[in-house]
Amino acid sequence: MQLDAYLITDEPYYRAIGDEVSLFEMAYASRMPMMLKGPTGCGKTRFIEHMAWRLRRPLVTVACHEDMTASDLVGRFLLDPSGTVWHDGPLTLAVRHGAICYLDEIVEARQDTTVVIHPLTDDRRILPLEKRNELVRAHPDFQLVISYNPGYQSVLKDLKESTKQRFGGVEFRYPDPAVEAEIVSHEAGIDFGLAERLVKIGQRSRNLKGHGLDEGASTRMLIQAGRLIAKGVALPAACDVALVLPITDDADIRDALSQAIAACA
Amino acid sequence: MPADPKERTSAPEAARSEIGFSDAERKLKAYLTALWRLHPVMRAAISAPGQSPPRRVTFDGGYIRVPQTYADVQGCGVEPIFRAALAHVAAHLTFTRARWQIGTLKPLQIALVSLIEDARVEALAIREYPGLNRLWAPFHVAEPTGALVAEMLMARLARGLFDPAYRDQDPWVSKGRTMFFDRRLEWENAAISREIGTLLGNDLGQMRIQFNAKTYVVEPAYRDDNAGLWDWSDTPPQEMEDTDVVIESFRVRRTEDESEPHQRRRSQDNDTGAGVAARERPIDADAGVPVARYFEWDYVLGRKHADWTTIVEFEPRRASTVGLDRLLSEYADVENRIRKLIRSTRVARPMRIRRRPEGERLDLDSCIRAAIEYRGGITPDPRVYETSEMRDRDLAVLVLLDASESTKEFVRNTTTTVLSVERAATALLAHAMEGLGDPFAIHAFCSNGRQEVRYYRVKDFNQPYGAAAVERLAGLRGGLSTRIGAALRHAHSEIRGQQAHRRLVLVITDGEPADIDVTDSKYLVEDARKAVQELGHDGIDVFCVGLDGGGDSYLTRIFGRRNAVQIDRIASLPDKLPALYLRLTG
Ligand SMILES: Nc1ncnc2c1ncn2[C@@H]1O[C@H](COP(=O)(O)OP(=O)(O)OP(=O)(O)O)[C@@H](O)[C@H]1O
Ligand SMILES: [Mg+2]
Repeated sequence: MQLDAYLITDEPYYRAIGDEVSLFEMAYASRMPMMLKGPTGCGKTRFIEHMAWRLRRPLVTVACHEDMTASDLVGRFLLDPSGTVWHDGPLTLAVRHGAICYLDEIVEARQDTTVVIHPLTDDRRILPLEKRNELVRAHPDFQLVISYNPGYQSVLKDLKESTKQRFGGVEFRYPDPAVEAEIVSHEAGIDFGLAERLVKIGQRSRNLKGHGLDEGASTRMLIQAGRLIAKGVALPAACDVALVLPITDDADIRDALSQAIAACA
Repeated sequence: MPADPKERTSAPEAARSEIGFSDAERKLKAYLTALWRLHPVMRAAISAPGQSPPRRVTFDGGYIRVPQTYADVQGCGVEPIFRAALAHVAAHLTFTRARWQIGTLKPLQIALVSLIEDARVEALAIREYPGLNRLWAPFHVAEPTGALVAEMLMARLARGLFDPAYRDQDPWVSKGRTMFFDRRLEWENAAISREIGTLLGNDLGQMRIQFNAKTYVVEPAYRDDNAGLWDWSDTPPQEMEDTDVVIESFRVRRTEDESEPHQRRRSQDNDTGAGVAARERPIDADAGVPVARYFEWDYVLGRKHADWTTIVEFEPRRASTVGLDRLLSEYADVENRIRKLIRSTRVARPMRIRRRPEGERLDLDSCIRAAIEYRGGITPDPRVYETSEMRDRDLAVLVLLDASESTKEFVRNTTTTVLSVERAATALLAHAMEGLGDPFAIHAFCSNGRQEVRYYRVKDFNQPYGAAAVERLAGLRGGLSTRIGAALRHAHSEIRGQQAHRRLVLVITDGEPADIDVTDSKYLVEDARKAVQELGHDGIDVFCVGLDGGGDSYLTRIFGRRNAVQIDRIASLPDKLPALYLRLTG
């Protein structure tokens, strides 16, 4: 197979929160385009890696950004000594060879870029390569998955209605404390009690969402704090480094957060 | 009688400059939010003239008054005592679920029940947040020695209940500790505080230890005065007399508090408005200058009335911006967010740039040239790509504010008027537009019949958005009617001269078009619709933000479905408007 490099061989650790795994399997069975919704660092990327491994499909991931153009997804002509040669972009690769294509943070891309996925995500399942004058029919195993963070920035950057309505959705949120502690403990390699404390701290920071913070500390941040602690850093310092400082430039809020952390332990 | 907390919430903020508490206020608020999801209203307590300033925090539901300073606390910095005090109040707000009836309790019993309750809620809070122990401990400084007076014994008991390691031989203190810790498993239940406190009060009474309720001040200093634990309203008057001076003094203080908002509300009006005269005569009638006449569209006749309306321009009064600033300070969060949005909004038109060493497309011309060079044996020029770059935004905006009579109404459940919310929203929007470098004007209108459509220039395109403009914005007053079509036509002539690629008239209105000389409500709607079409004809976009929950039908009729939004919660306008603007123009 062409995309061997994209196959995930070892099981990525994923702790299911609800029935998302079986739902996703069902969606894949009908090749339904899927949208993973949820705040940053709550496990969307990890989930899709796990699913790709489970379904034994290669996973092509594209991190979308503002300056991304359709060519970055689809492909472009490059020059070589004898003239021009076409290079498939990551999306085209996935479409041709039957991978799961994961467009991470799709709202970051401009809308004129995202429309290229439209013909792929309806009944046609085709990808027209205009520049090359080619129509690529999707491989039967191909599936498109996007992630989408419905934060406040969606005022500005939002998916077009016609894009949104092509997808099924799975919602992610920060898991219940016990489950989140399990994840943090596993990922950071710290004991459960400590992970619980970190999760508690994370939850305090999430209380500040909309009251000084745009978003509370993610599971990812808690894991990072945990990793520092596992290396021997004291909890307050680890939280400061992994969580308080990165999360905001607002000195008052940082102070409040540090004090709240001090109260937790 | 406890005042309605909601009403107090709307009271203008105390003068913050004079207090040590002010610097820390924002941090402390966020602290309470993070730990307990509380969003209390905190104010510095103001002492009445001739009275000594309050020495302890007092709270009433989510309304907290904090002393300006703690004279009796030394050497631990300002912030810890405030943090300790607010964490204590938060513990009450979380664990003291209901107020107690006073019933037949004596003052000493009231004080002791409160003391046990303090210990109980703190113990529960520390279970959840062990770190609070470190926060409160430094304030427990009572020593197991000294005179056997009630105040000292109570401070010792307070320490004994807080700190299990504290040693005290006094039988009364020991008894209190035993009773409290024996019932560890019942700490969730507030009734035990009343039970234990009442018993301890009896004991102290039998020991003939004097308690002077008049001079009693709760110890340690971070604890509140306990007024918020009791329900004072049901105390029958005769019991009141032999109950307590403590309570009496609470009451006195409370009445003072209540009178305060009114006084200050008045003074606020004075500084937001241009004085009382301006309020009585909402519109400055002396300075109007007729500047233009416009036709009006009569949908019944299906033709225009030529030269039908007269635009009279007025110089808006300038007013102090204190009130506006104060309102804006409540939206500090929004301002932050807008700043962030602006940074991420590099809305622009893509422009093609050729002959690049890298890029997303091949530049055909350069490729051909390179191919020719290659075949001719020359090293080809590697710059064969083209790319797109974003050109700067090119947009001019005229914000047209409705300043008609209806904007003088209060927003539900608040003491702010629709117009002051409009003003705050406009100020936030102006910051956004400044930040983006979009040329903009802010105009306002109202009308008094077709011969007097009043037009105010708060800021013109060529003026900076400086102090003067803000003062004019603060000076806008509501009055008269809404002849929106005429105002739109004048706005049209104003923005027409702008060279920008995109031009936008952004209308903010709270009501249906109406005027004193028009009876058919459809007439002005149809005329306004016509005016919007004229603007569209010149390639000028019009967008309307409606503040009238029921305004859907006529706003859609005037502006078209896609070009009008309704904001049902007016208070959210300052939040929504700039975001909406960014989206509209993005
Ligand atoms: N349910 C979960 N099971 C296992 N690990 C998890 C889970 N949720 C979160 N994690 C951990 O959190 C980290 C961050 O999650 P991930 O990278 O998937 O976030 P994301 O939702 O994709 O964030 P972003 O939107 O910022 O890309 C992962 O590396 C993983 O360690
Ligand atoms: Mg108390």
